[in-house]
Amino acid sequence: MFVRILKKDLKRKKTMNTILLLFIILATMFVASGLNNVITVMNGTDYYLDQAGIGDYIIITMGDDVVGGMEEVLSREPKVQDYKIENVVFASQSNVSDWNGKELKTKNTLIFQSLHDSKLSFFDCSNEKISTVKKGHAYVSGSFMESNHLNVGDVIEVAHGSVTMSLILDGKAKDALLGSDFMGNTRILLNDQDMQRLLSDEDVALHYQGEIAYIETDDVKSMSSAITDISNVAFDGTRDTIKMCYIMDMIVAFITLILSICLIIVSFVVLKFSIHFTIAEEFREIGVMKAVGITNRKIRSLYIGKYLMLALIGAIAGFFASIPFGNMLLKSVSENMVLGNSMGILANFFGALLVVFAIFLFAYHCTGKVKKSSPVDAIRSGQTGERYKKKTIYRIGKSHIGATSYLAVNDVISSPRRFITIMIPFCICTLFVLILVNTTATMKSDNLIDTFGTKSDLYVTDVGDVMSYMNTGSKSEFKEYLEQKGEELTKQGMPASFCVEIQYKYTVSFEGEDYVLSCQQGMGTKAADYKYKEGLIPQNKNEIAITPQISEMTGAKIGDTVTIDFGNEKQDCVVTAYFESMNQLGEIIRFHEDAPTDLQYVSSIMQYQINFTDDPSEEEIEERKDRIKKLYDNDAVMNATEYCMDCVGVVDTMEAVQYLLLAITLIVVLLVTILMERSFIADENSQIAILKAIGFKDSAIIRWHTFRFGLVSLFSVVLAAILSVPMTKLCISPIFGMMGARDIVYNIDPLQVFMIYPGIIFGVTVLIAWFTALYTKTIKSSDTANIE
Amino acid sequence: MANLLEVTDLCKTYVVEKRQNNVLKNVNFSVAEGEMVAIMGPSGSGKSTLLYAISGMDNATSGKILFQGKDITKLSGNQLAALRLDEMGFIFQQMYMMKNLTILDNIVLPAVQSKKTKETKKEKVKRGEELMRKLGIIEVADNDINEVSGGQLQRACICRSMINKPQILFADEPTGALNRNASNEVMEELVKLNKEGTAIVMVTHDAKVAAKCSRVLYIVDGNIKGEYDNSQNTDVLEKERERALHNWLLDLGW
Repeated sequence: MFVRILKKDLKRKKTMNTILLLFIILATMFVASGLNNVITVMNGTDYYLDQAGIGDYIIITMGDDVVGGMEEVLSREPKVQDYKIENVVFASQSNVSDWNGKELKTKNTLIFQSLHDSKLSFFDCSNEKISTVKKGHAYVSGSFMESNHLNVGDVIEVAHGSVTMSLILDGKAKDALLGSDFMGNTRILLNDQDMQRLLSDEDVALHYQGEIAYIETDDVKSMSSAITDISNVAFDGTRDTIKMCYIMDMIVAFITLILSICLIIVSFVVLKFSIHFTIAEEFREIGVMKAVGITNRKIRSLYIGKYLMLALIGAIAGFFASIPFGNMLLKSVSENMVLGNSMGILANFFGALLVVFAIFLFAYHCTGKVKKSSPVDAIRSGQTGERYKKKTIYRIGKSHIGATSYLAVNDVISSPRRFITIMIPFCICTLFVLILVNTTATMKSDNLIDTFGTKSDLYVTDVGDVMSYMNTGSKSEFKEYLEQKGEELTKQGMPASFCVEIQYKYTVSFEGEDYVLSCQQGMGTKAADYKYKEGLIPQNKNEIAITPQISEMTGAKIGDTVTIDFGNEKQDCVVTAYFESMNQLGEIIRFHEDAPTDLQYVSSIMQYQINFTDDPSEEEIEERKDRIKKLYDNDAVMNATEYCMDCVGVVDTMEAVQYLLLAITLIVVLLVTILMERSFIADENSQIAILKAIGFKDSAIIRWHTFRFGLVSLFSVVLAAILSVPMTKLCISPIFGMMGARDIVYNIDPLQVFMIYPGIIFGVTVLIAWFTALYTKTIKSSDTANIE
Repeated sequence: MANLLEVTDLCKTYVVEKRQNNVLKNVNFSVAEGEMVAIMGPSGSGKSTLLYAISGMDNATSGKILFQGKDITKLSGNQLAALRLDEMGFIFQQMYMMKNLTILDNIVLPAVQSKKTKETKKEKVKRGEELMRKLGIIEVADNDINEVSGGQLQRACICRSMINKPQILFADEPTGALNRNASNEVMEELVKLNKEGTAIVMVTHDAKVAAKCSRVLYIVDGNIKGEYDNSQNTDVLEKERERALHNWLLDLGW
């Protein structure tokens, strides 16, 4: 008999059961994919670095006679358990061009390497390990192919020293060490024979060779002092530093993670509401069953059985839908990384199981009322009929709006729980979209410029130029060169001065510990030109400023004295200030302009900065930018905003995720609106019929239902817009903090945050609600005769 | 008195699983201004269908329904809705009301929606209160719909149907769900309204209720089988009116 009751119920209440089934499918899809993504993102970089075999500590050397230098030191260092060394050749963007001879854009230094000699595992776009490269072919890491609009099969020309060769691109290689936007070097993986051809040039072999070491050690903290004997170190860092380089990728991944968690919360909230709602609909029948003597247990098991059956069907469908949906969410974050987890789709399975269990609990909880209420209570649809608390506080006589608008407002006030259920997903999703909009807008502005250096009118990347000074030049020659460049521009009618940030690697000692640290000094700028967080600007050559990260690493504070080995002399320097920097993820020291630095110890030279001395307008600067591009035959001329975007690197991905998030929000809005509105129509069938009977037109009914959703949506997006400013600071500042700078001034675009995005979400809600409310046209005034 | 409602050859056919069910077959009758007409008949005879069709809530399959000389079968959905809002009132057997509104707000709602008069919202609310006072339910004005008795709720429904001062009131077994006392109260109010000039057409099973009407139509299988004129018996005692009507109904096989 119970099976028959169940069958009848499923057939008769087709609309509500279908709506519930859709909610279950949706919830399973979100929960299952969300759970998988949570596990994947939590293990994200570690999984990738393990797959690549990156080790605990990494050193990169470059310059004259470096080959064999590392081997000698590492082999006798007791703290080094194991190490792998690979040989590379450094180059610049002037060494690569397309088949037309047009120079190709590379971010920072270009590295050539034989795949055969590689000690790191590289992966292609389908996350398969790259095992061979044919002669005359190459794989390229980073965003080289995208930024130069190159496709698989395209040919690039390499000219380094006297060697020239054509290489067919086989695709993008995911490079765990250099592939992150923050490291930003381009590595070209070659066949061993092509690599030997490159090294056959004496000049290349002598001046452009370098080594990369991947070291296994239990004592990464001491590695910095253990490798002080290695010369020409361009980079050294721990596995954690490399992990931090993926921070921007991980921000995007974490946004996906938070989004997944939100979708899970949304799913459960909506699911609980739907079950509560549908069971409330059943109470009249429950009352009848109770009245004829069917036990509470039997009645509860009947409804729990029904919901479990729907849950199972929904969970199976949702499980299969969750796999492509989860992949879609992760796709935008896995372009630079190999993301995955050892559980595979088992996580999705557990997610689906969780939904079934949650539905069982909800159904068990909601049917608990069966036990408490008498048959008459149940027949009265769960209401005892004796309620002394006023339901509505908003009276028609006091309203200043029309009847339909009044009905909508009154409904929202009278049943807040029902509408809060809708507001939660709307508000959460909008909030995340707006947080991302604020973050992207900040990254697309020059607000971060102080964390990279000083603000200039233009920035020019010229790796080739820089490398020649890094290898052979002196500071005075370099200074002269910058002055010449300034004069050149002045002759062209663009009076300007040049400056540049130079980073050195020096051994710094404090309280008996030695550290090889990155130190920066401006050429053409003064220490006073930079921004400081606390303390006094370095006034003398023996005064330095440090970042909080350096302070934490060494224990040095403002007022402490550290000893810096400048090569020719050791100097005691007083820490006078703290500053924040995103260079080297904040692990950097700032020198006074007179500090006795030497280009022999340089690890990196940043972009040339051009400061026009005739105070040109923004438009004029943009015009000059184009002129300079032509003059230097170099596309890498940027204004301050573009320079910030170039340094941060993931703005495009962030923007893509922003649109993805907006799309997901609109999908959530669409589904929640359709399903909830259909639930409301089913619930309010009799009220709609009665309104029509007393003379309300179809359009008035549609307006009532649409206005109700519009009101809820408006409240949600306004709340989200207001919360988005403090929430952006709360959520995003710690992430920028991990990159070295916590005191960020966010670029809030009022038009986007308070108008465009909330407007889109509000508009879509209203449109969908209106469209769904058209269904009320099928309810006739004569249906009052059929009301149960 | 002039005819307010004229029904000519009204047919209503439902098609259920390819089987035609002729519920109303060429029904003809009229209702004069200020008249009170009862429609009686056995269950399934088509009483409610007739009521819904002549009030414009359901479409007729064929025939003419002239209300104030206008054929409502030719009107669009919106025109019919406007007609129901401003010119017609409806009372159902079940006391359907908007769940989230108080009794007074439920009553005033059609007036707020209507643009028939230039009254302000406050004046409309005042009129709603006057109606409630007249029907003796003013003390429940601020109550929720589940805080009042069935009789009070049905009287509230009458107030709602009267709020826009309709020309005609349709009632589908208005006392069907009420006890004898509540039923009497409701009927007294309907009679009073009728005396004030509102035409009433009601479906009922109760001869006692029908006896208060000036005319009774007896419908069987979708046809009007007989018509009983009670308008001449105004001076006769109520009991006698009931008996006479009862006898007439028995003659028709009731």
